[in-house]
Amino acid sequence: MRDYLIKRGASALVTLALAIILTFFLFRIMPGDPTRTVVGDFRVTPEVRQMLVHQFGLDQPIWVQFVLYIRNLFMGNLGVSFQYRGTPVTSIIFGRRLFNTFILMGSSIGVALIIGIIVGTVAAWKRESRFDISTVVFSLVTYSMPVFWLGMLIILVFGYYLGAIPIAGTMTVGMTYSNVFEYAADYLHHMTGPFVTLTLSFVGFYFLIMRDSILDVFTEDYMLTAKAKGLGDRKILFRHAMRNATLPMVSLLAVEVTYLFGGATMTETVFSWYGIGRLIYEAVVMADYPVLQGIFVVMAVAVITANFCADIVYAFLDPRIRY
Amino acid sequence: MTQEQAALQLEEERFWVYKRKLRDFWRLYRRSSLGKVGLVIVLSFVTVALAAPWIAPYDPFTFVGDPFLKPSSAHILGTDQVGRDIFSRVIYGTRISLLIGLVASTMTIALGSLIGLISGYLGGRVDNVLMRITDLFIILPTLPLMLIMASILGKGIQNIIIVITVISWTATARMVRSQTMSLKERPFTEASRAIGSTDLHTIARHIVPNVFPLVFANGMIAIVDAILAEAGLSFLGFGDPSQASWGMVLHFADIAGATVNGYWWYIVPPGICIMLLVMGFAFISYSTDQILNPRLRRR
Amino acid sequence: MQEGTARAVDDVTFTLKRGETLGLAGESGCGKTTTALSIMKLLPPGGRILKGEIIHDGEDLAKKTDSEMKAVRWKKISIIFQGAMNALNPVLRVGDQVTEAIIEKENATKSEALQRARSLFELVGLDSSRVSYYPHEFSGGMRQRVMIAMALACNPSIVIADEPVTALDVVVQSKILELIKDLQRKLNLSVILITHDLSVIAETCDRVAIMYAGKIAELGNVTDIYKDSWHPYTEALITAFPSIAGEKKRFKSIPGDPPDLTSPPSGCRFHTRCPWQDDTCRNQVPEYRNVSPDHHVACHYSEKIRGKFRGAKP
Repeated sequence: MRDYLIKRGASALVTLALAIILTFFLFRIMPGDPTRTVVGDFRVTPEVRQMLVHQFGLDQPIWVQFVLYIRNLFMGNLGVSFQYRGTPVTSIIFGRRLFNTFILMGSSIGVALIIGIIVGTVAAWKRESRFDISTVVFSLVTYSMPVFWLGMLIILVFGYYLGAIPIAGTMTVGMTYSNVFEYAADYLHHMTGPFVTLTLSFVGFYFLIMRDSILDVFTEDYMLTAKAKGLGDRKILFRHAMRNATLPMVSLLAVEVTYLFGGATMTETVFSWYGIGRLIYEAVVMADYPVLQGIFVVMAVAVITANFCADIVYAFLDPRIRY
Repeated sequence: MTQEQAALQLEEERFWVYKRKLRDFWRLYRRSSLGKVGLVIVLSFVTVALAAPWIAPYDPFTFVGDPFLKPSSAHILGTDQVGRDIFSRVIYGTRISLLIGLVASTMTIALGSLIGLISGYLGGRVDNVLMRITDLFIILPTLPLMLIMASILGKGIQNIIIVITVISWTATARMVRSQTMSLKERPFTEASRAIGSTDLHTIARHIVPNVFPLVFANGMIAIVDAILAEAGLSFLGFGDPSQASWGMVLHFADIAGATVNGYWWYIVPPGICIMLLVMGFAFISYSTDQILNPRLRRR
Repeated sequence: MQEGTARAVDDVTFTLKRGETLGLAGESGCGKTTTALSIMKLLPPGGRILKGEIIHDGEDLAKKTDSEMKAVRWKKISIIFQGAMNALNPVLRVGDQVTEAIIEKENATKSEALQRARSLFELVGLDSSRVSYYPHEFSGGMRQRVMIAMALACNPSIVIADEPVTALDVVVQSKILELIKDLQRKLNLSVILITHDLSVIAETCDRVAIMYAGKIAELGNVTDIYKDSWHPYTEALITAFPSIAGEKKRFKSIPGDPPDLTSPPSGCRFHTRCPWQDDTCRNQVPEYRNVSPDHHVACHYSEKIRGKFRGAKP
């Protein structure tokens, strides 16, 4: 077990290093003034600019820059934003926005996973039944819908026609709240639209993967043994099949972490949800490279860490890996 | 018989085997209702794309009426904010969406397969390096990368295709690589090398034909991804505004505030088209996978 | 990819006596496993029992629904599959896999079940501490012992062993066979042993049914079958195994291949490979008849041709 983890840990570190290096060079091949990667455009105050030039060595040879970049990285300094006039990138990312994205993505991925796993298992069990066919078709349909269009439809139907959900933002503008619950209620009310959109767009995929995985497991001999023992259907399904079938899902989850940190750019844009996804969009449009670079680094760290955690979890679940 | 005759006969036999395999495949495919539906859908769209100039009532790029007209007999889907006929735009949109989808996905699987083949067959150092690169691409978030590349390269169809290709080749590469690696271990590969075939010959003759079926199924998914990617990019404003792809139409709809004003005729049709076209390819992919993937046949 | 209905088991009749070991022998695909799976109603999704009865304890199992069968499975009849690596769930401890049947079917508590699992392990020659191990931590032979222990968990009266030693090497093979014989005696079990290996039959079984293409060719005592068989196929099988002790002679393999069960040969299914086949064999299905006490044969000419394959005088 230890050897396995050490090996995976080392591999993760190497990938992380490569990702950071790649990010560094990626943004330096952008057209234009190289100092943009740290300072953005020239519209920050001269004093701030001076400080940054010094910190990041922007007038020095590239390898010096790289070393300073790494040093700054470790100190948590990701440069300053262009569009927000000198605000440090770290405070832009690690603030309200990350919170909003976490809540939205965490809940929708979580709910979609649970639904997808359970329904996928049942559908595989009742293969070729009406339930199975309808759920498969439903999943294929939602999978085929562009996310942003689904969002637009939901706004159209529930926002415009039914007036049930607000059309944009995380909170009602100009409202004051008397207590936490009112605040939370308004927040959640605003979150309904993007939440439903995202959950619907994720659930089809998870469902199909889980169903596929379970059908594979059904062909295994130990399923016949379980049946031969005359165990109850539910026990066979959930204890024997599901445990084996969820293994591939764990590796899949690690990839989904990208969404947890990067948000769903399209959905957040459609609903004007104040999160990282929308930040990415704005930063690209405004060519705010420091912010983009910062987001990339954060996401790389998050995904690689998540992959490593997935490896650990996988080792827990599959005893064969441990040795 | 002479050497030449023998070689010719061998070629002919191989042709018949291939033809029979295709016929078997088609026979099985016909039995899958999902596959038939998918094929019908895709062919319908292709027909519309080819016949666009004759089907569309107006030119999609010029303004032919007052802006924001509601659906009527003159304009089935009304007009957009500059007075262009939405219905015509949706019809012409078929061309762009199909074109980008097909070209981008072809390039994606070509690139991905090439890298996968090289990586899987050569192994060792080359494999390591290529896989690290692939991992990096997988880790970095796709949409932001696409947006950045699109903003650097600028607007235009070729650029969209390039962007999609560069971001999407990793999935195919991984799959082809693992297939190649498992095929490399098979006896017929060893036999081929034992009799002295060059690597290129072995790859071309033995590995490629066996990888091809899976690549084909994967290709359908690549088409799906490419169509959705193009739609997304265009919607966010990074597409080609001079073309009327469905994503672009929706982009204009969004700018015009169609959602908040309830212009469902502007929003629903382009989206449904994207959805149907994608579903068509998804169905084909599903059915093809069922037939070609030996693992699935056991179930 | 083939289409059509394959009659994997066609008109098979036999009786299993209490405390005896009955062997089901034959080439791959002759229907032995399908017979076994049918008894427990474990046929794969495409399979069905079209006609017939399976009488156990006065009840006809063929008429039972799947949920009714659950009460029978493992408590009255259990099964040991070949290749125990895949037959055991890799993510569960072996102890849990043994106890789950006990807990569910006999309403035992976890500790009672565990107690029983431990003693079962001892019974099959495994260290009882191993109940907490995972399947991949055992060798092939030990895994088979685990499967045997598991099969005995609910005290069944019948145990079906489907190719229990085929995947093992020879030394381990004989140990496991010994174990099976031992347990059968101790617990007065009735065993149906399925295998294509006649030497295994010889070592463990009291009676044997030789199957071919879904039908029984011959059924009788093991000693009778070996010394004095009545069906040419049986003879062919026996002579195909060279004997170390016997005289040195070329051993005859059986020409041809087993038939396609979606379109089996007409008449006697063995006729295509039988050196003595004639028109009757080609057109008429031979009757499954009783030729001596507790000995049945399905062949038109067994009186005339028996022994000929071996070169013995009838």
